[in-house]
Amino acid sequence: MPTSVTAARQFLTEEAARALDEAVAVARRRSHAQTTSLHAVSALLSLPSSTLREACTRTRSSAYPSRLQFRALELSVGVSLDRLPSSKSVEDPPISNSLMAAIKRSQASQRRHPESYHLQQLHSSNNNNANATGCSQAQAILKVELKYLILSILDDPIVSRVFGEAGFRSCDIKLALVRPPVAQVSSRFSRAHCPPIFLCNLTDSVFGRVGYNLLFPGQEDGVDENCKRISEVMAKKSGKSPLLVGVCALEALRAFTESLTKGKSGILDGDLVGSVVISIEKEINEIVNEGNDEKMGLKLKEVEATLEKCNGSGGGGVVLHFGDLKGLIFDGALGDFVSPLVLRLAGLMEVYRRRLWLMGAVDSVEIYRKFCDKFPNVEKDWDLQLLPITSSKSSFDGAYPKSSLMRSFVPFGGLFPTPSDLRSPLSGRNQSIPRCNLCNEKYEQEVDAVKKAGSTVSVADQYSENLPSWLRMAAVDTSRGEDVAKTKAGESMLSAKVLGLQKKWNDICQRLHCTPTVTKLDNPSMSQVPIVKGPQFSRDQNRTSSGDLSINESLFPNQSPSRQIHMQTNFLPKSTPSISCTSEGRNMNFHSVLHVDVPSVTQQTDKDVPWFHHPRQSLSSCSGRTPSSFVPPVTTDLKLGTIYASTSRESNTTKSLNHQEHLQRFSGSVSTEFDANSETTSYQFAQSSSCSGPASAEQFDLGDYKSIRKALAEKVGWQDEAVNSVSQAVSQLRHKYRSFRGINCKGDNWLTFLGPDRVGKKRIASALADVLFGSQECVVSLDLSSQDKLGHSNSIFECKELSSYDEMSRGKTMSDLIAEELRKKPHSVVFLENVDKADYGVQHSLDLAIRTGKFPDSRGREISINNMVLITTSSSITKGNVKVICENKVVKFPEKIILGAKNWQMQILVGSASDDASKSNYMGVRVATVKEASTSTSANKRKTMDVVESSELEKTDTGEREHKVPRSCLDLNFPVEEADEEDMGLGHSKSESMSESSESWLEELFSQVHKKIHFKPFDFDGVADKIVKEISSQCQRTVGTEVALEIGEQVMVQMLAAAWLSDKREAIEDWVAKVLGRSLVEVGQKYNLSPRSVLKLVACEGDVVKEQAPGIRLPAKINLN
Amino acid sequence: MGYNLLEALNVQIVGSGDRYLVLAHGLGTDQSVWQRILPLFTPSYRIILYDLVCAGSVNPDYFDFTRYTTLDPYVDDLLNILKSLGVDSCAYVGHSVSAMIGILASIRRPQLFSKLILIGASPRFLNDEDYHGGFEQGEIEKVFSAMEANYEAWVNGFAPLAVGADVPTAVREFSRTLFNMRPDISLFVSRTVFNSDLRGVLGLVRVPCCVIQTARDVSVPASVAEYLRSHLGGRTTVEILRTEGHLPHLTVPALLSQVLRRALSR
Repeated sequence: MPTSVTAARQFLTEEAARALDEAVAVARRRSHAQTTSLHAVSALLSLPSSTLREACTRTRSSAYPSRLQFRALELSVGVSLDRLPSSKSVEDPPISNSLMAAIKRSQASQRRHPESYHLQQLHSSNNNNANATGCSQAQAILKVELKYLILSILDDPIVSRVFGEAGFRSCDIKLALVRPPVAQVSSRFSRAHCPPIFLCNLTDSVFGRVGYNLLFPGQEDGVDENCKRISEVMAKKSGKSPLLVGVCALEALRAFTESLTKGKSGILDGDLVGSVVISIEKEINEIVNEGNDEKMGLKLKEVEATLEKCNGSGGGGVVLHFGDLKGLIFDGALGDFVSPLVLRLAGLMEVYRRRLWLMGAVDSVEIYRKFCDKFPNVEKDWDLQLLPITSSKSSFDGAYPKSSLMRSFVPFGGLFPTPSDLRSPLSGRNQSIPRCNLCNEKYEQEVDAVKKAGSTVSVADQYSENLPSWLRMAAVDTSRGEDVAKTKAGESMLSAKVLGLQKKWNDICQRLHCTPTVTKLDNPSMSQVPIVKGPQFSRDQNRTSSGDLSINESLFPNQSPSRQIHMQTNFLPKSTPSISCTSEGRNMNFHSVLHVDVPSVTQQTDKDVPWFHHPRQSLSSCSGRTPSSFVPPVTTDLKLGTIYASTSRESNTTKSLNHQEHLQRFSGSVSTEFDANSETTSYQFAQSSSCSGPASAEQFDLGDYKSIRKALAEKVGWQDEAVNSVSQAVSQLRHKYRSFRGINCKGDNWLTFLGPDRVGKKRIASALADVLFGSQECVVSLDLSSQDKLGHSNSIFECKELSSYDEMSRGKTMSDLIAEELRKKPHSVVFLENVDKADYGVQHSLDLAIRTGKFPDSRGREISINNMVLITTSSSITKGNVKVICENKVVKFPEKIILGAKNWQMQILVGSASDDASKSNYMGVRVATVKEASTSTSANKRKTMDVVESSELEKTDTGEREHKVPRSCLDLNFPVEEADEEDMGLGHSKSESMSESSESWLEELFSQVHKKIHFKPFDFDGVADKIVKEISSQCQRTVGTEVALEIGEQVMVQMLAAAWLSDKREAIEDWVAKVLGRSLVEVGQKYNLSPRSVLKLVACEGDVVKEQAPGIRLPAKINLN
Repeated sequence: MGYNLLEALNVQIVGSGDRYLVLAHGLGTDQSVWQRILPLFTPSYRIILYDLVCAGSVNPDYFDFTRYTTLDPYVDDLLNILKSLGVDSCAYVGHSVSAMIGILASIRRPQLFSKLILIGASPRFLNDEDYHGGFEQGEIEKVFSAMEANYEAWVNGFAPLAVGADVPTAVREFSRTLFNMRPDISLFVSRTVFNSDLRGVLGLVRVPCCVIQTARDVSVPASVAEYLRSHLGGRTTVEILRTEGHLPHLTVPALLSQVLRRALSR
């Protein structure tokens, strides 16, 4: 499925999008059906001031004149484009999947390399590179920069082939792209000097292998793994004569001796330096085949002489290479010539143990075993060490460019100086921070980068051009309405901040140092700070210079001073670690970022919450409060993010309302200014406006419970007790956070809803979202059980999007799915249904989440959930929860049936009661008839009842069958019945063990949640009675008292479900009055109803409701027969 | 510093038993492939999960094209993981390429492994004079050029073929993980794997092995299991699963875990 151009464009920066448009144009011109990477390459080459072309120029081999080579490149691109099949021209040929994949990859790599991004930024500003515009626009929503796009397009094998045809190596081009020209001169040196983090480096240090420098320094010159391993063996004290085992062993042996003799002698170290390779392979052959051992004697004498010399000079040695061991175990009569040789070699080994290495290869172990059988002591005498060789290098040559491809992707933190640091008057101080010496150069650079970012954020007025959008407000007035006093205030604030920073970084450094574990992987994610902030540099500059912000300024004409002061006071506690909770909050926030290796945009905003609060605080400070009273909310907010968000707008003072208005206006103006930015900024400002409520109204705590309860009860009228306890829990939660300044007890923000009433739970969740986060949309709702269910088609609940994630869940694990959703909505109520049915992965993730406050996905990335309220639901009741919900009451309409309700069209059938004699008894009693018909419990309607029952059975059945479906699929794989049995048996044990373990897990989980809330079953029977009454009165009114109305089971279920789902309480009555009433009137007019007529209201199975009545999930019209 | 490796390869330890069990995924998948198997073993084993460096879930920057030219660096990774976790004895379940890695690792550190369970293992994929590995050199080259030309099309075609059985979810899952790999990396690793030849060294294995093979597997012909049985140096058993495909842990997790359990208890 190709992606549409517009969809693809939104991932790209303007410049990259322009390139893409160009590529699309190329595809259109050639009337190709899709836009592929090749089109993109063609477009990239043709762009004026093309980065790609420029990179090519730098990498092209000097063998050809550049004009020719470019011509060749154009040709080969053209030819491969010609090869693509053309189709009828499309307006905008959609983006092919491979290109789309390239875009995705570039997005990922851009996210991974904040520092190279950052560097690139520096360089682009230095070089006035074409990329400058591109990178400055990357937003918090990561847009792919042209450079990264090119890099990942070059990954495409087809593209690298095209480049290869023209004599370019795409890896070199990549290198050139990543490495700006300045660094070109010394690049080779610096690369060797400062190897990037590869696993090999990591493992090297694990093994301490660096100790003996046997590794080939010029690994990139193509010394392969086998040679490396051979030399490793040879460097050992004992067992130092490698005997290569394996089919490719001989080849590997050849390659090694070749490279030794070729004079790559530098590859050997220590004792091995200066050793010579002497081959006795030929001589062995002769000895074995012709019995001629003269030459062998000579050769060995020579060897001995050389060894003697080595011993004398104290250096060098002999690598005696006997080739294939097979030669020595020739089974023929000449075999006896071998044993003297073996003994001779053993003797040599004995004497010159330090100087002599034997070397050989053997096809397989079996042959070696035979050899050993013959010469039992050979392994010891020859000091042999078996070395399995599994592949030969030679097959790789030419097959794949041995590239330093990867290196181009490696962060270069350590390679370039970061000149911009020097501009900062504070950097001197920052740099003087005592940090552990053990942190290596690269790490320091990274820390510097982060430090700089940190200081940029905090040192707002010094770097107004570097400011992230959410701090810009503050920056505006500081930079604009500045006067001397204010600057002073700002300065003192700065110094306080810097002190805090110093401390913080020392802390971090220490932490990194004590637990080196965090070091390498975490730093990139930390230094991702610049990535968020970087993009806006030039933009902001533009804006400040163009003076757009004057509007905003005028919005806050006299607020700046107070804000200034206020910011200072707020900054102080925040940045000084002595106030433990604040610094803790900081650390935690950092921590949460630290552990996520590819932090997503949402996490960034999540993390940014504390920063972002400053403008808010300062704004609310204008509402006349004394600064000191604001410190507590600051700290709690730091912790909770926006958990209180909007506790109550109602009680906002007019003043703060006013400010909200300002803010909104402000956010409006901001959003118009940055069209691309608008989403993030407005989001943030919206947040801030809602936040200002609680901050300015602390007395809220008291009314909290009541207001929450009111809000919830409005939504779910029938769950009084549950509503009470939920609102109690939530207000407790809030209170706790406030009073303890957010000493976060884990699991505090977790609630569990137990028992029936799925809709009620869901409603409460969304109502909570409304209360806590200001919008009903702030719900992440996932049904953990439905992963393996096939969606019920046409369910009445489906339209409600109770289980609508089928599309997105494709090919993902449940926990990944949850993680993704959490990332999307960092401030939300997370509503996980049927937690008892969670699969193992989810169980594990939830376990960790409740303990650590971070939800890990299947790859171990973590998302902070401290700003969320997590609600898990379970319809089953575990042993620990004694409260019995169903008091063995016979329920006519259990929830299970209602959940199976379908969204069918209804129709009214007209029949006669004559066929059913017993019916006449009930003629007069409409209600009874209707009721009985509807509930089908009447004794004289066995038939209906049976039907109903069977349908009931069917429904429960399908519930179970749905679970079984995947397994029954698997059964296809078992050819015979016994396999079936096996599977069944196993299925049993599996489900048993699963249920056991999951039950205990569930109990453990529930024991950790803040509160368990039991839900009552929804009173379907009561509602049914009410509906029946309503209908019968309606019926009496419209068609008279004579006629009986029979309501089909399905219709009844449908109506109940609709009533359950509807927002308004009277919705069902309305519907009965309007829709059903109208239909009954029509029936009355259309048919001549006799007293014996029976009207039947039934569902048209298979016919889905087309038009819905307003306010309720029922048809707007009822068909007449 | 070992911790970095653990981070980089997403090493996870789950479960609560007293014995260690390493689950190593094969080419084109990542550790998530085991998730249907996991629940059955978590009560009795501490399971070590990790991603091969070539897996899509690992930062591709860690894949050093100059280093991972043979299987040995993968073995290094495995041994380093076990070392930094302080594991001194474990059972090992390896699928496809990881089976090869397990074999090599057990040769290097025989005492570290109490048992090898090799799923869909093959010492050599290419045919030879007296060996039937299932692939001809020419075929392989064709496959590689197909990968080069259009990775995505190749994935879409290959995934159902590899999965074999008609289990759409498995195909989907496999395609997902396969597509997660960067094309150049998967191409490179495939070359590495097809260039590897373990036949000569099988005899060095001293650890008891269990070879699990499906009745029909596009990448591994049935004769290979027999070859492994007769050539592996340790006590070796062969289990044939009555199913098709190269990925029994995706297609028939229940059946496979039963066999695994049996094999582990022996």
